[in-house]
Amino acid sequence: MGVYIHIPFCIKKCNYCDFFSIPYYDKSYLDKYTQALLNEIKVRQQQMPTVQLESIYLGGGTPSLLNGQELKSILQTITHEFNLLPDAEISLEANPATLDKIKLAQMEGAGINRISLGVQSFFDDELALLGRVHNAKAVLETIELFHTRGWKNFNLDLIYGLPGQSLDKWMQSLKQAVDCGPAHLSLYLLQLEEQTPMGKKVAGGRLKMLDEDDEWYMFDQAMEYLEGKEFEHYEISNFCRPGYECRHNLRYWQAEEYLGLGAGAVSFVNGSRCINEPQLQQYIDALSTGKQWPVKELENMSGRELMIDALILGLRLCAGIDLNQFKHRFGVDITSDYKEIIAYYRDRGLLNIANGHLKFTKAGYFLSNQVLCQFMA
Amino acid sequence: MQDKIRNFSIIAHIDHGKSTLADRLLQFTGALSDREMREQFLDKMDLEREKGITIKLQPVRLKYKARNGEEYILNLIDTPGHVDFTYEVSRSLASCEGALLVVDASQGIEAQTLANVYLAMDLNLEIVGAVNKIDLPGAQPDLVKQEMEDVLGLDKEEVLPISAKLGTGIEEVLETIVEQIPPPHGDEDGPLQAMIFDSYFDSYKGAISYIRVFNGSLRKGDIVRMMSSGKEFEVAEIGVLSPYMTEVESLSAGEVGYLAAGIKNVKDTRVGDTITQASKPADKALPGYQEVKPMVYCGLYPLENSDFERLRDALDRLKLNDASLFYEPESSDALGFGFRCGFLGLLHLEIIRERLEREYDLSLLATAPSVVYKILLTDGSELYVQNPTHWPAAQKTEQVMEPYVKASIMAPNEYVGAIMELCQEKRGSFITMEYLTSQRVMITYKLPLSEILYDFFDALKSRTRGYASLDYEIIGYETSDLVKLDIMLNGEVVDALSFIAHNDRAYYQARAIVEKLRRIIPRQMYEVVIQAAIGSKIIARESVKAMRKDVLAKCYGGDITRKKKLLEKQKEGKKKMKQIGRVEVPKDAFMSVMNIEND
Repeated sequence: MGVYIHIPFCIKKCNYCDFFSIPYYDKSYLDKYTQALLNEIKVRQQQMPTVQLESIYLGGGTPSLLNGQELKSILQTITHEFNLLPDAEISLEANPATLDKIKLAQMEGAGINRISLGVQSFFDDELALLGRVHNAKAVLETIELFHTRGWKNFNLDLIYGLPGQSLDKWMQSLKQAVDCGPAHLSLYLLQLEEQTPMGKKVAGGRLKMLDEDDEWYMFDQAMEYLEGKEFEHYEISNFCRPGYECRHNLRYWQAEEYLGLGAGAVSFVNGSRCINEPQLQQYIDALSTGKQWPVKELENMSGRELMIDALILGLRLCAGIDLNQFKHRFGVDITSDYKEIIAYYRDRGLLNIANGHLKFTKAGYFLSNQVLCQFMA
Repeated sequence: MQDKIRNFSIIAHIDHGKSTLADRLLQFTGALSDREMREQFLDKMDLEREKGITIKLQPVRLKYKARNGEEYILNLIDTPGHVDFTYEVSRSLASCEGALLVVDASQGIEAQTLANVYLAMDLNLEIVGAVNKIDLPGAQPDLVKQEMEDVLGLDKEEVLPISAKLGTGIEEVLETIVEQIPPPHGDEDGPLQAMIFDSYFDSYKGAISYIRVFNGSLRKGDIVRMMSSGKEFEVAEIGVLSPYMTEVESLSAGEVGYLAAGIKNVKDTRVGDTITQASKPADKALPGYQEVKPMVYCGLYPLENSDFERLRDALDRLKLNDASLFYEPESSDALGFGFRCGFLGLLHLEIIRERLEREYDLSLLATAPSVVYKILLTDGSELYVQNPTHWPAAQKTEQVMEPYVKASIMAPNEYVGAIMELCQEKRGSFITMEYLTSQRVMITYKLPLSEILYDFFDALKSRTRGYASLDYEIIGYETSDLVKLDIMLNGEVVDALSFIAHNDRAYYQARAIVEKLRRIIPRQMYEVVIQAAIGSKIIARESVKAMRKDVLAKCYGGDITRKKKLLEKQKEGKKKMKQIGRVEVPKDAFMSVMNIEND
C-alpha cells in the first residue's frame, strides 16, 4: 500500500495552476490542518489494520511549508499506526523558496528520503510568467544544498511549451537541469486551464500559446537529449536514472491501491475510489470534533471500470502493459477485445506490440488521447 | 346556429405580436385560467417557444358572450409571420371568413403585412385592423393607422388601438370581430364537405386532421370518404380545440375542429383534401390548395448510416404536419444514403432539420442548400438540377438558367441607398420604387433566388438597422453564367460539398470556402489538403496540418476520474463527425459552407 498526503497550502498560487490550494498566510490554519491529518491517519488505519506501507508521498500544494515538528509528527503517527516497511520510499514535494539548510535537516530527521523540487525553468523571465515565487538563483542554491548534504534521490520538475518559449531556451533549461545531477526528471507540457490567470490572458489575446508542432519538437528533442544522457524514459512525462523510478507514482500507473489523506485526497482501496471532503474547514471540523472520516464521494467500481482504468493508466508507462498479466488480472484479452482499435493505431504508428507488451510508440505518447478515447465505453 | 360562429385568422408581419394577442384572447374569453396560461400558449413546439416564432398554424375555439347578450363561438387560427411559412397562412385563411390584421405601432406596415393582406383580399375576407404595442415608448399609433388607410385601404377610424401585452383593447377586438366578420353560410343539410387544412401524427390515435366543415355535418361513427383517393374510414373521434382537445357529438357547417379515424398510413390524409360522407357523398371536392413548390433543396443524411429507415419514417410523419416538405431518396459517394429534400426557404430547412433531430431523435447532416437550376442541353433536352452533383459537363450544356424572384423591400426612405447597393452586389436589377407614405418606400428588384436565400436577409437587416422587411415571389428562369465548384479533401471530390456559383464570383467564393473549411476541420492524424476546383482546374488550396499533440501531461492518483471524463467527451465529439475517406468532417461543415459571408 502507498499513502498520499495532501497539503493544500501555497505561499502564492501560480499563474497556471487550477489545483485547490489556499495561500499560506494563517499559520494557525496549517496547525489545525496538521492536527486533523493526524486524526485521519488514526481513523483510516482502523479500516485497514494489517496493511504494509511501501511508499509515502507528501504532495500539494506545497508540503515543504510544513515545519520540522509538523512533518515529524505526521510521519511518526503513520509509522506508529501502520506497518511501514524499512525500505519504504518517502517523498516530499518542495518549492525552492521554502528550503534552507535547517529545513532540509529537519526533513532528513523526519525520514524523508526523496525530494521532488518544483524548478519549472532556469530562466527568471519564464518563472515570472508562470508566477513562481522563486528565481533561478534560488533553485541553484537549493540544489547546491542537496549536493552538500549528500542527497542523490531527488527529482526536478520542469515545464515546457510556455507562451513565447523557444526550443533553444527550453533545451537550455533541460541541459542545466541534467547538469544539476538529479536522479529523476519530470517534464510537463504546460496544460492551459481556462480559469487561471494565464488561461484568461490567452483567452484575451494577451498571451499566445505555442503551435502544437513546436510543443512536439520540444518533447521530441527532450526525449532524444535525455536518451543520450542515459536517462530512462519510463512514463510519458517522467525520466530517471536506472532504478530511480518514483515507486509511489508507479503504483498509480500500475493501478495498484493507495490511501489518500487530507482535504480532497483520492483513495483507491478494495476496488473503490473515494474522495475526501475538499473544503478545508469542513475537513478540519469533521476530524476535530467527531473524529469522522470526511468522505465526500465513494464509488464502487465495476470490473469493467477497473479494467479500463488499468488500461488507460498502464499505457502511460513506456514499458506498456504486460498482456498476460493483464489477462490474468482482469480476465480480458486486450488484443482480441480491442483488435480493431489496436490494428488501426498500429498501422498509423502510434501503438506497438512487442515481447508480450502493448505500448505507445514515441510518436504515440503525444497523441495518446486519440487512442485512449477509443477504449471508452 | 351558423350566425353565432365567427371564423378568423390572425395575420401580421413577424414579431408584431400575433401570438401574444392570441394569448390575451384565450384569457379574456376564459378558455384558459390564469394558472393554465403561459406565454405563446398556442405555439406548441419547444422550437417555437425557444425561437419566439410561430411555425405552425394553430386553431382554437373560443366562447365569447358579446355585449348584445348573445354567446358566440369564435374559431381563431394563429398563423406564422415569416415568409417561408406563407403557405400556412394561406391555408388558414381559406378556412375563415375574416382576418384580424395586427400591425406594430412602432414598426408600421412591413413586407409580410402587405403580403398577408393581399392573401386575405384574394379570398374576399373581411379584414379587422388593429395597431398593437401602443404602450411602447416608440409607438406612433396615429401614423400607423394613417399608413393602414393609405396603403391597405382600411378605414383608419375603425383600426383598433391595442396592447396585447397589457391586455388593452381586447374586448373591443372581440366585439368588432362579432360585428364585422360575417358568419359562415354553409348548407347544414347538404352533403358533407369538410376541408383538411392541417394534420399531424399521434402515436395512439393515428393521423389527426384539422378540418373546416363547409357544408353538411359529421358525427362519430360516420363512414367518411377522402375525395382525392376514394378511401373510406370510420370516424373514431371528432372534437374541438378549446384549447385542449375536447370531444363533441357532431361538427356541422361553419365549424372548425379535429377528426381522428384510425388512419395509420400518413399518405391517406392529405392536406387540402375534401372529406365527405360515404353514404351521401358530395358531387365535387372543395377547391384544394395550390401545390407549393420548394424553393431550396438540400441533402439530409443520417450521421449513422443505419438510421436511414428511421429518417424515412420521420419524414413521412413530418410531411403529414407540413405539406410543403418534399423529399426523395438519393445517395452520395461521401455520405451514403439519404434524402434530397425541398424547402420553402432556409428557415424552413433549419426548422425541419431541428424537428427531425428533436422529435425523432436523429442526428443529421445537411448538405449545402441549392436552388433548382434549369439547363438546356446540346441535344435539345431540358434538365432541372436541384443537386449540384447532377450538374452536366460543360461541353453538353447549351444554356444555364437560374430562378429569379421579384423582391419587395419595404423600409424608411433614408435606407434607400444602402438597400440598392446591397441589391446591386447580389446581381439584382432595379424594377421600381414607390413611396407608400412620405417616409416609407417600397423598392422592387429582380434578384437571383440563390442570392436571396443565403445571407441576403441578414445583410439587409444589418444595413438598415433592422428597419427593412422583405417579401419575394418567384418570377421564372433567366440565363446565367454559372459553374459548378467542387471541393476536394485529400484529392477526393466530396460530392456533398459541391455547389453552383456565378462565374464572376467563383474564384472569390472558392477561396472563402476553402479557408472556412480549414478553420472548421480539426487537425487530424494526417495533413488534410482542401482544394476547390472547377472541372479539373484547381482554383484554391489550403491545408490542415497534422495533429501533433493530444495528451494529458500529468496523470496521478486523483487525476484519473477527470481524465476519463475528458476521454469520454472526446469520444462523444467523434460521433459528431462524419468520416469521409480518412478525413473526419464536422457535420455542420456542409451547411456552413454557404454562410461564408457572415464571418
